[in-house]
Amino acid sequence: MSRVRIAAAGAGILGFLYGMFLVAVFGVMQQPPQRFGQIMRHVPMPLMAIVPFESMWNSARGGHLRVGDQAPDFTLPRSDKSGDVTLSSLRGKPVVLVFGSYT
Amino acid sequence: MPALNALYAKYKESASFFVVYIGEAHPSDAWQLPSNITDKVVYSAPADFKQRSELADICVVKLGIRLPAVVDRFDDATETAYSGWPDRLYVIDADGRIAYKSKPGPFGFKPADLEAALMRALARPMASRLPS
Repeated sequence: MSRVRIAAAGAGILGFLYGMFLVAVFGVMQQPPQRFGQIMRHVPMPLMAIVPFESMWNSARGGHLRVGDQAPDFTLPRSDKSGDVTLSSLRGKPVVLVFGSYT
Repeated sequence: MPALNALYAKYKESASFFVVYIGEAHPSDAWQLPSNITDKVVYSAPADFKQRSELADICVVKLGIRLPAVVDRFDDATETAYSGWPDRLYVIDADGRIAYKSKPGPFGFKPADLEAALMRALARPMASRLPS
């Protein structure tokens, strides 16, 4: 086998492994948050540098709600324990929702 | 967070604002980030709703959040419905429809885009008030 063919075969194998790796990372991103975190704690960060993390993340965590959809209703307790908030009772004004946590 | 506090101060008379406190993004018992250790934001994932509620309180105080906050159920029902984790911004119009949905955080957390969407939602009359 010529050197050129060996190099081509090597590049092909590397490309295939990289593709498989991206598929695996995408699969992990689609896991529920807790499971995603449990897996990511074992992944060396430098490995993430070779992944187009942002675009894969945006796609994996895209969700199914679209602009124009009816907002799913909820009733949740206020953090200061002063009562509950029901989304559907707030009609008539726009509502801004900020999902987030501390860490 | 300062940007969101500013938006809240500016628009709180014309719109409702809520922080929905959900499961931690980087708890110490999962994918903890070095920056959280530097900033001393080291918390394990709450084990039940009571702990989640307590951590929500700490979060609101430490981050200086002026927006009213609600705490998601421990089964993450609201987070699941809105794909809110790790963080995400929404504007819901006066008729209860999604007017703006940001990309998932941390990349999608853009208060300027949120403000533009909120201004559009405020400029549009409610469908139920339009003459038919």
